[in-house]
Amino acid sequence: MNTIALLGQPNSGKSTIFNQLTGARQHVGNWPGKTVEKRDGTFTYDNTKYTLVDLPGSYGLSGNSDEEVITEEFIKGGRADLICVLVDSSQLERSMYMLADFASMDVPAILILNMMDVAKGQGKEINAALLSERLGIPVLPFTAAEGKGYGELKSLMEEEMKNPHKLKTSPDIPDDASGTEMSGGKTLNEGKAKYAWISTLLDGVTNTAQTEYKISKLDSFLFRPVLGKVVTVGIILVGFLMAMLIMSPFMGVAGMLPGLLGGPIADFLTKIKVHPWLVSVFSLIIPNTLFFCISMASFVFGVNIVFGFLEEIGFLARAAYQFDSALSKLGLQGKAIAPILMGMGCTIGGASGTRVMDSWGQKMLTMMVVWAVPCASIWSIIPVISGMFFPIGGTLLLCVGIIAYIFVLMFIVSKVFGRSLVSEDARTGMIMELPPYHKPHWKYIIKEAWLKCFDMFKRALTTVTLVSVIFWAFSYSPSGNVESSLLYKVGTAIEPVTKFFGMGWQTFMAFISAAFAKEAVLGTLNAVFAGQSNVADVAFNANASGVDATALSQVMTQTISGAEALAFIFACTFSVPCLMALSTTYKESHSLKWTVKTAGFYIGAALILSCIVYHIALLFIG
Amino acid sequence: MKLSEMHAGQEGMVSTLKGDERFLNRITSIGLNEGVGFRIIKNDRKMPVLIFVRDTLLALNRRDSEKIEAKEVGA
Repeated sequence: MNTIALLGQPNSGKSTIFNQLTGARQHVGNWPGKTVEKRDGTFTYDNTKYTLVDLPGSYGLSGNSDEEVITEEFIKGGRADLICVLVDSSQLERSMYMLADFASMDVPAILILNMMDVAKGQGKEINAALLSERLGIPVLPFTAAEGKGYGELKSLMEEEMKNPHKLKTSPDIPDDASGTEMSGGKTLNEGKAKYAWISTLLDGVTNTAQTEYKISKLDSFLFRPVLGKVVTVGIILVGFLMAMLIMSPFMGVAGMLPGLLGGPIADFLTKIKVHPWLVSVFSLIIPNTLFFCISMASFVFGVNIVFGFLEEIGFLARAAYQFDSALSKLGLQGKAIAPILMGMGCTIGGASGTRVMDSWGQKMLTMMVVWAVPCASIWSIIPVISGMFFPIGGTLLLCVGIIAYIFVLMFIVSKVFGRSLVSEDARTGMIMELPPYHKPHWKYIIKEAWLKCFDMFKRALTTVTLVSVIFWAFSYSPSGNVESSLLYKVGTAIEPVTKFFGMGWQTFMAFISAAFAKEAVLGTLNAVFAGQSNVADVAFNANASGVDATALSQVMTQTISGAEALAFIFACTFSVPCLMALSTTYKESHSLKWTVKTAGFYIGAALILSCIVYHIALLFIG
Repeated sequence: MKLSEMHAGQEGMVSTLKGDERFLNRITSIGLNEGVGFRIIKNDRKMPVLIFVRDTLLALNRRDSEKIEAKEVGA
């Protein structure tokens, strides 16, 4: 069956090797009956096809989490022909612990000394041949992120499949009987034995004694309690500007698509006498969907490049240190800061960034918290709508209110869902290594970002097309007047209910469209208030439809009250972020139940919020 | 004393680890076991404790670092 499994602690570069070997030939699913993600893929070498399994991330094999149990059972069950154990060469002694845990299992293995570049940079030398001789299995010095040496790795794998080796030594674990009377004594004694085994193995293999640690200039800045947090947020904001720079050329080109494609497609279809309905579907929806998906994917690309870079150089680990105490109050830990900050740019990026979390429960809870962070897209709309109704001071006040509510909402989410997702005794605090700063491997960062962006694009294309068609059907009006559309009929029919929450039928429809895409809000408002174009035309086509803000402002301020506008802004900002965030949440959590729960909670909470804001605002601004 | 009570610059050795099985496994697997020497790099109020152990800079959650008893070495 040719199955090879990768085993290593988080940060050992396991997913890098996995992605580099399998490329796009990956399959992501669940381990049977568990919420733990199963990643496997294939690669071909010398006309032989191999299956590569990425064993769930854990620090050891002691069976303390679902992840560890799965990994242990997989290896013990002999489901892999070869196990590749990965260790970090720059911290060899510490990361060999995984091998010590693994040593009791009787299966063929190879050892990969990853991050040799970092180790060399620190002046460390490792005698791989001697280590290999002592262990009885091949030992390969490697730098996964460099993208080189994979041929050698594959040929080693091939060789070992034919001619396997097993570890000839294992830690001398003391018998349980000799254990101490205190609880956990067994674990501690085992730990001692494992480290003793590692010391013996490494004696004479590595050159350096313990290196002296010297705090770097940047770290003495970043480690300060207050200044460090300010600088961290500042760096992230600069990062988003960079992300926008990266995406702008793609957006520019994609923005021309509706104009370029729409006319010719319509002409062609009219010429071959296709029904006008279909002409409109093909000439409007398809180019607009394409534009929308490309711009979304390019933003995901930009955000991932920036965060990939920050992760690679070691910056995100510092951010985790800074925010650990604050996040423990939410039942999370420091590592959750990266996805939350990513969410400030794009919720999709934030949701997929939750992969760094240690357990499924923490990952799901982090995703739910990320949803509470308004993305860059909605921030670009808030001032526009607010500006129609309120002076600049009012708009600023509103922004402060929104920022304050982010924290309230995060707190509510953690109170409502925290306990069931991350039980009290599973609330492990952050125990995390802060790697030394090192140079980024650009090729790797770009490749990873590209994989994520391409995956997003594929999912977006199908989902958004489908939803566009639904939108189009709802807003199709034979007379061209909004009042003869299904949207109007449904909207006005349920208006008595929506009014209670502070929204009339127009704003409520725009609220719904905001849950699909924040970019759709202005277009939908334009369609329902000004009736200038139909909703499908504008829904997924934010800027190209050319919303005339002044004209829209006139109609809106005449039709709805300031209180309704305020309620609407809050409701849109804190509802479901967008369709693709929803889809990504499902993809990352593998749980339909929790995805639906999350969406349901956010829609409900947004309506309640809208209701409260509306009725309070009525007292003050009428 | 508890690891969380030590000051930056102090060198120490882990004497006892407390806590449940899960914590003990986790802390051992990341390199902290009884008898290992370390140096406190930074220990600010309401922040995780930063220690240097086995060639690695580790950030330990404050509450967790209270479960680690240590002796000062070379003072």
